[in-house]
Amino acid sequence: MRYLRLLALFFRTELQYELEYRTNLALEIVQIVVIITTSVGAVLILFNYTTVLNGWDLGAMLVLLGCFYLVQGFGELVLQPSFEKFMEHVRLGTLDFALLKPASAQFLVTLRNFQVVQLGQMGLGAVVAIVGLGRISTLGPGEAVAFAVALVCGFVLIYALLLALSTFAFWFVRIDNLMAIYWSFLDAGRFPVDIYPGWLRVTLSTAVPVGVAVTLPAQAISGRLDLFGLAVLVVGSIAAFILSSLFWRVGLRSYTGASA
Amino acid sequence: MIDVYRALFVGQIQAASQYRVQSVLWMLFSVIRPVIFLAAWVAVANAQGGRVASYDVRDFAAYYVALSLVSNLATSWNAYDFEFEVRMGRLSPKLLRPLHPIHYAVVENIVWKMTTIIPLLIVLGFVAVTFDARFRATPVHLVLFVPSVILGGSLAFLGGWVIATSAFWTTRVHAVSTLWDRAVFIFAGQIAPLALLPGALQTIALVLPFGYMLGVPAEILQGAVDVPTAMLLIAVQAIWVAIFYALLQVVWRVGVRQYTGVGA
Repeated sequence: MRYLRLLALFFRTELQYELEYRTNLALEIVQIVVIITTSVGAVLILFNYTTVLNGWDLGAMLVLLGCFYLVQGFGELVLQPSFEKFMEHVRLGTLDFALLKPASAQFLVTLRNFQVVQLGQMGLGAVVAIVGLGRISTLGPGEAVAFAVALVCGFVLIYALLLALSTFAFWFVRIDNLMAIYWSFLDAGRFPVDIYPGWLRVTLSTAVPVGVAVTLPAQAISGRLDLFGLAVLVVGSIAAFILSSLFWRVGLRSYTGASA
Repeated sequence: MIDVYRALFVGQIQAASQYRVQSVLWMLFSVIRPVIFLAAWVAVANAQGGRVASYDVRDFAAYYVALSLVSNLATSWNAYDFEFEVRMGRLSPKLLRPLHPIHYAVVENIVWKMTTIIPLLIVLGFVAVTFDARFRATPVHLVLFVPSVILGGSLAFLGGWVIATSAFWTTRVHAVSTLWDRAVFIFAGQIAPLALLPGALQTIALVLPFGYMLGVPAEILQGAVDVPTAMLLIAVQAIWVAIFYALLQVVWRVGVRQYTGVGA
């Protein structure tokens, strides 16, 4: 409860900060709209030549693209700004200030910074998904719940992976490139993970779970994910979260403030 | 001028050799997106019995391998650097030097391409084998590819600089360059080979400069166009390069008067 209050506080201060630069904010929103409409255009061009892509019709593809922007938007809303700041803290030795505060350091560091405008990306992603859903007839409460669960699991998976990756900053300090590669791999999530050839599909499902994080929620809402698959996803996400948190704690022991 | 360039090259090569791992990682950027769209088109072709219009699966593979190579050779990131330099006032010392800032960018780009080309070719060889690419290019195509990719790269570079120069007026060009990048995404042959773009979009791609940056050199390397068409396309590329060169001269001359360091 206290953590939720803190989260709301962080969110509010970051929102106030962003509202100081209104023209920039408007331009960012324009960019988000342009990027998402051109991506939808790309899907439409593909479907100009086919009605189905590996078992995904246009409606399902739009749902998938919507999920892609929901997941990517979540990453850019809170994870990317927070983890960038975290790596800077390690480099400058200012992580001390977070460690000394009377709350979980992992929470204070990894969910601290927001790019509030990215809510626009998530919102527009939701619109794309809803348009896609309009073309799919079957949507019961079961699918809706499964979708919500799968999407949260997707967020958790992305969080866990970023946490594990950024932990390397404790030893190597500068790992911006590693993170940059991660964000560019995220791009692969815009298509169903099963279209990729073997080696790439394995990478996208395990090492970089973006394929899973985007594809499974889209499958869940179109009623193509069975209960067993959902259970595996939930257990896997929880395991990933616990393991990456443990790893972070191991890394933290190697942290030294400046001149220590 | 040759001596100046030699000195710049030495400096840039020394700078680049400090960041070897980084250049290999950044090279992946040119590969990831083409492979994504290659996989998508292969899925479309398989759904349609192995063929989409004039492209079968192996043609798509050849096209996107060629496109990765071209994007790596023809793309530059100057707009982002330039905005930063204008915003931070770091352009000031560069303007005082006797050499136009564009020369630093030219050399930096060429050196970057030289350091990434070998790892890139290894990765692309791997992709080509995975997707069983088939190139139809004849030796003539390979010869024509050289001027075509140079012109495509020059066009993308000059276009990027014209966009970047708008930072003189707006300070932030991020939004403008996003628009530009997305136009490249749609029209330059990233989401589909130019031949497969639906009617109106294909016309736009070939009327505006975008298609000539990446798509045209890639199609020539792949061997998708016959030799006379290839030569015609190269001629159009040359015209666009000339237009953008002239445009940059004008925009730069007017824009640089707008520039003020912070505190001026």
